[in-house]
Amino acid sequence: MALVRRYVGRGPARFLGGRSLTPYLFLAPALVLIAIFLFYPIASVLYYSFTDFDIATPPEWVGLANYQRLVRDPTFWKALTNSIIYLLATPTIIALSLALAIVVNRKLRGIHIFRALYYVPAVSGSIAIGISWRWLFDRNGFINSALISLGVLDEPIAWLAEPSLTLAIAMLLTIWAGIGYYAVIFLAGLQNIPEELYDAAQIDGCNNLQKHWHVSIPGLRPQIVFVFVISSLAALKVFDEIYVLTGRTGGILDSGTTVVFYLWKQAFQLNNAGYASAIAIVLLALTLVFSIVNIRMLERRTDTT
Amino acid sequence: MARVQALEAPELRPVVRVRRRTVRRTVETALWYVALIAMAVVTVFPFAWILLTSLKGLADPIFSVPPQFLPNDPTLDNYTRVLDSLPVPTFFLNSIIATTATTALSTLVAALAAYPLAKLRFRGREPIFYLLLATLIVPLQLTYIPSFILAVQVFDYYDTLPSIIFPNIASAFNIFLLRQAFRAVPNDLIDAARVDGARELRIWWQVMLPLARPTVATVAIFTFVVSWNDFLWPSLMLHDRDTMTLPVGLAALQGFFANDFRAIAAGVTMTVVPILIFFVALQRQFVKGLGGAVKG
Repeated sequence: MALVRRYVGRGPARFLGGRSLTPYLFLAPALVLIAIFLFYPIASVLYYSFTDFDIATPPEWVGLANYQRLVRDPTFWKALTNSIIYLLATPTIIALSLALAIVVNRKLRGIHIFRALYYVPAVSGSIAIGISWRWLFDRNGFINSALISLGVLDEPIAWLAEPSLTLAIAMLLTIWAGIGYYAVIFLAGLQNIPEELYDAAQIDGCNNLQKHWHVSIPGLRPQIVFVFVISSLAALKVFDEIYVLTGRTGGILDSGTTVVFYLWKQAFQLNNAGYASAIAIVLLALTLVFSIVNIRMLERRTDTT
Repeated sequence: MARVQALEAPELRPVVRVRRRTVRRTVETALWYVALIAMAVVTVFPFAWILLTSLKGLADPIFSVPPQFLPNDPTLDNYTRVLDSLPVPTFFLNSIIATTATTALSTLVAALAAYPLAKLRFRGREPIFYLLLATLIVPLQLTYIPSFILAVQVFDYYDTLPSIIFPNIASAFNIFLLRQAFRAVPNDLIDAARVDGARELRIWWQVMLPLARPTVATVAIFTFVVSWNDFLWPSLMLHDRDTMTLPVGLAALQGFFANDFRAIAAGVTMTVVPILIFFVALQRQFVKGLGGAVKG
């Protein structure tokens, strides 16, 4: 075996030292598709962002006009602010789904039924749950009739027509739908933490809460990082919830308009593909900055531990 | 015998303590169940409300104070009304076709790409890897304007299912998950297969894929859920009722029935229930797959 390994172990390097086409053939389908559906579009969007363009007729070069218009466009600033506010959903989701995972990670009878119920929203699809929520929060909907019969409200509130509430309701929907999904990820992580660590913590005098603080949370680090990245990138791209809850309008006074929603509206409702491309470039820049900050923060945290 | 008794006797007193502890534990367990049920009500309530509303007849108020939960006059009329005006079964079929094709092709393409990145040495491996890494953070919505033009002018698949399949096949995320799994496969196994004369494709198929099966399942499940629920891009591509997928069809249904909430509720129920049954049936694999995405 040792002989074989010595002979073959160096084999791949020699055999595939740049001459063989095999690795490239394996990569070809992915790379070709990524080139067509990602790299080419990014390059064209960058080009379109300097043009006046409505998809139907050829683009016309206008230089920085679209970007100058962006700076002066209050709706764009509103959308940018809303998208950044939406990021607040991420820490909430992490805290709640972590707590849920710890609760559900218990040997109680029928626990798997509860686990299944908790991820029902995640698999039902954002359109279906968005429609359900829209009717729950309707002026004549369940929330109002329940609150009135409980005596909390005298008059029904038009929740979704209230500019100050639109974004909050959408965020609540995102959080509600995400908790079960992310809890499942944390749950799997919890089950990999050795029981002995909890025993050791107990011997050291930790109560239940302290045990989780000192054992579960550090043990779930990879999952927390993963959920943080995934859910914050999702928050930056939110669209479906806004689309359904505001009935394709983006809310009264653009109260629920996010960057992606505004991009969609400009490109596909108002036929301003050039202007929308400039919004797309800002979205890309926003995501880049956010990811760099993300990576920095994660690196720093790794250094200290 | 005497020794046994000697051992048992001092335990008599702790029995009382144990009993007290069991009482405490029962109370604690009960409290956990209360918390679990409360949470379940919060997650499931909107669906239950929709289901009950979809069964209400015209005599049943849907907007009343206090809210009425159970229909007095249960009926399936709302369902027939939806099915008469919109082809919900077609939406289903389209969703199944598009999602299955996307999942299969995406998993295949990612598994192919992940193998050389994990196990082969070749020129350009590092640049290609970092290029793929960078694509992870690009928001897909960015590409929709050019992809729209490609769909209409180049590929000529606007308003057909391929238009929502092809742009979603290549996924850097899937490539990474599979690359991680492939890296864990011992080199000895690959070398041994090479000694036996296996070509790379055969090694990929007979060594790598079987050993990375849990991750392959994870990738497939993730892709399936995302693709099944995808809305924005399909809503741009699919406009004919015969090509719509479920989320696009549902949005159309909401527009079509406007304020007929009973019909909308019936439509939502029809689309949600089958997928729920599917996921409850696959619960174990689904939970395992989701959890398998991240390893410590």
